[in-house]
Amino acid sequence: MKKSQRSGAPGPSTPVGVLAERAAEALRQQRFKEATELFKLAIRQDPRPEWTESLADAYSGRARAMAAKKMFKEAAMVLENTIAADGTVRDPRLYLTCLIRDAQQPKAAAYLLRSFGSGGTLPAIERTALEDLAAALLVAVPQLPEAPRAASSELSRWRELAVASREALSAWISGAPVEEMDRQLNRISLRSAFRPVRLLLKCLTGTPRDDDRTRHRLETIQPGSAFYPFRQAVEAAVFGERVLDAFGWEQLTPAQQAFVAETRGLPTTASQFLARSSEAAQGGPAVLFNYLTKQPDLPQAEVRSACLNLLPQIPDRLAQFEKSFGPLSDLERHRVKALAAEARNDWEAAEQSWLAAAEAIAGGGADRQVTLSQGVIYRHLARLAEMHPEIEGEGFLGDPVSFYLERCYAVDPEHIPTLLDLIGRYRKESRLKDWHRLVDEAIQRFPDDSHVLLQATESAVARKAYKRAAGFARRLLKIDAINPGVRRQMIELQVAHARKQMRSKRPDLAAKELSAAAEWERSDAPSALLRIARGLVGLQTGAKEQAEAWLREGVELAGGGVAGWFQAVLEAELMNATGGNAGWLRQELARARETSPTKQAVITIVAAAGRPEAGENKRVVAGLLLGMRPWLLQAAAFDWPDAEFQALAETLARFDAFDLLQEYARAARQRDPANPAWRFHDIVARTKGNADRLSMAETDDLFEMAEAAARREDFQAAKRIERFLDGNGSGSAGKSRADVALADTIDDDELAALFMAMMDEMPRGAADSLRGLVQELGREAALAQMVERFRASPVGPGMPESLLRQLCAVMVAKALDGSPSRPGRKTRRSQLFDA
Amino acid sequence: MRDPFTVLGVAEDADDAEIRRRYLALVRDFPPDRDPDRFREYRAAYDALSDERKRLETRLLHTNVAALSRLRAAALHAASPGSARATKRTVTALLTDGIMRTATD
Repeated sequence: MKKSQRSGAPGPSTPVGVLAERAAEALRQQRFKEATELFKLAIRQDPRPEWTESLADAYSGRARAMAAKKMFKEAAMVLENTIAADGTVRDPRLYLTCLIRDAQQPKAAAYLLRSFGSGGTLPAIERTALEDLAAALLVAVPQLPEAPRAASSELSRWRELAVASREALSAWISGAPVEEMDRQLNRISLRSAFRPVRLLLKCLTGTPRDDDRTRHRLETIQPGSAFYPFRQAVEAAVFGERVLDAFGWEQLTPAQQAFVAETRGLPTTASQFLARSSEAAQGGPAVLFNYLTKQPDLPQAEVRSACLNLLPQIPDRLAQFEKSFGPLSDLERHRVKALAAEARNDWEAAEQSWLAAAEAIAGGGADRQVTLSQGVIYRHLARLAEMHPEIEGEGFLGDPVSFYLERCYAVDPEHIPTLLDLIGRYRKESRLKDWHRLVDEAIQRFPDDSHVLLQATESAVARKAYKRAAGFARRLLKIDAINPGVRRQMIELQVAHARKQMRSKRPDLAAKELSAAAEWERSDAPSALLRIARGLVGLQTGAKEQAEAWLREGVELAGGGVAGWFQAVLEAELMNATGGNAGWLRQELARARETSPTKQAVITIVAAAGRPEAGENKRVVAGLLLGMRPWLLQAAAFDWPDAEFQALAETLARFDAFDLLQEYARAARQRDPANPAWRFHDIVARTKGNADRLSMAETDDLFEMAEAAARREDFQAAKRIERFLDGNGSGSAGKSRADVALADTIDDDELAALFMAMMDEMPRGAADSLRGLVQELGREAALAQMVERFRASPVGPGMPESLLRQLCAVMVAKALDGSPSRPGRKTRRSQLFDA
Repeated sequence: MRDPFTVLGVAEDADDAEIRRRYLALVRDFPPDRDPDRFREYRAAYDALSDERKRLETRLLHTNVAALSRLRAAALHAASPGSARATKRTVTALLTDGIMRTATD
């Protein structure tokens, strides 16, 4: 059998119609090579124009495929098969691109000149861009293409302009005077595609220089133009004194840098330095350091500064630096060491070096610069401590962030951001006494700072000093009349008072409280909470019509529908507004639930349930969520982003809605199985938020998740998992950190010794009784009981939950199989603490 | 980040007023609508130097990645903006850059 027959290729006797059909099919399926061959065979038998057209399409497609593979030379050759009678190819833009990318600029220039001269069959939409490209090509090529014998007037015109542009450029390069340049430039029509040449040379030779006109001229050369890099170079050369800073220089291409250096008459040494220093910089800091230290002609103070800045990347060159530039000061040495330690993620060394640097600064006296510099270092250490647990501050028990912020505040008490950070830290750490003390100090020192006034208001609210809070809030609103934060806070405060009055069966006093709260409301930003509260109180004080209007308005402002009525019912429960009103509200909520949930509505409900007063009435909110279970379940299938899911999961867990959380987590895992966050929530839901119910497999999973989160620097996720493992799911990060810090104080040897002692000191009978316990309760329950026992033992307090569990797991394993493998010291320690 | 002192073209001991003056002059010359990247660079440099503490922070904490900047600026300032001309090779290289970029786009 012949090869052509085997491969299904047409034989010489294949009818022309079949050939054309198969060729068209191949073209449709983008099998361009096959389409080309088939069309060629068909045309050989019957040269129909439509098949010739299709053949050109097939060539064009094939060329495009080749160009995509960077086979530019071959693609251009394929396109040359489509040359029409007027000399143009099927896809001129692609053809030119291929020629240019294959460094065939002269051929591209000749093609364009021929195309423009032949009456223009180029697509109109591309014509302007192609003319711009043609002009650049005709100026750049070493030799202008020959004109055909019977050149059209259009072609002659193009050639004339190209000659004029090339001559003008040559005249400028050879230093022609201004008058000569003007004469040359006047030959270039401003209406032609060569206009950029005239404008650029005019900008370079115009005297006296008119900056505005020059800029205007340059701006007419757009970024899409082939002359644009030339424009940027001229801009840098002409406006050099203003634009040639480091930014300007580094943004330039090598050709542009050369142009600037040449036109600005840079000394050879400077030009050489600019060129070679870039090469050295590409070789890395050590190469650059060596290059710089061998430049005696450069200003040595600047060379020293540049080398000093390189030292943190190449600390091994410290001795060489000192040999070249003299000894470093103590501050410089510690600074270099600290930055070098940071670069290699050695945070303990970085902390020590920064502290040494701060001490070295202190040796320089007590002037403003000294104290501010120390403040800068302490603030930096506080920032590092937030990210890296290796930064310890004063010791493992305290919070290092607060510690360094306190030191910063001590040396630089006028720095408001530090003050606010420290206040925020005290609040986060629940150090109430320190919080209020610092706020009192701050308001004395900065009585007119809006941020400090806001803190003072919040501090007064927390201390239940309402009048004081109102005073601060009014002062704040004088400075910042809009401040929605303080307005909201004051309204919430008075609504809270009204709630208490309602619970004490004093709706009249509650109404008075709420009327006063209206002082804080802006007419263009009505408060949903206040409207709802006034409505609920009004329903009991008699003004039913007005009350209902307020209530409905509040519900709408709170998001309307389920979200709005949920908040109204919640508020009614919090106020203990029982009886007919509560029933009416619940009916409205039930009616609203007939509509399908939306993400926005669910998130609004989550936010409402997250309010502190809701948290204080857990039973009420849990009951409400239980009533809304079917409605909330419908939203489980939504595509929740991580952050929103996290808020939702926390709320569901807080109110013990673990079955809902499990449904949400499962739906999320089905949608996105690769995201470990859903697995975490699934585990939380299954264990009902109790780490003691974790299975070994789940514990391992969580450790892995925490480590993976830490590796990808998702510290929030890592800490969340860590808190859960420590049995402190809703606890503060500070406590968790203290646990980790405590564990960190036990070094590897101590940890191993601790394990060994535990194993060795296990009474002989204990293994038997432990086996019995496992048989009786099952491994998990036995393990949980062991953990409880250890927690109550002298080693329990202060030992992280995770470590206790690990220890108990090893003991159970030893009891069961008699010869447990002890956890590898390094590995286990890493698993336990590094996350 | 580039050395903000070099980006703004001010000395390390420049005060608030001088730094602001220089920043405003640069923004006038290169408003954000004309050259957004350049404006962002100036803005970042100004933010890093706009008060005494930030300047100290820049000097103490930042390793100057573009350690060469200042030396380059010094080399460039040594030049006198005159009416020197470029070589044909350089001009051709500029045009070729533009042609290649157009073809690549």
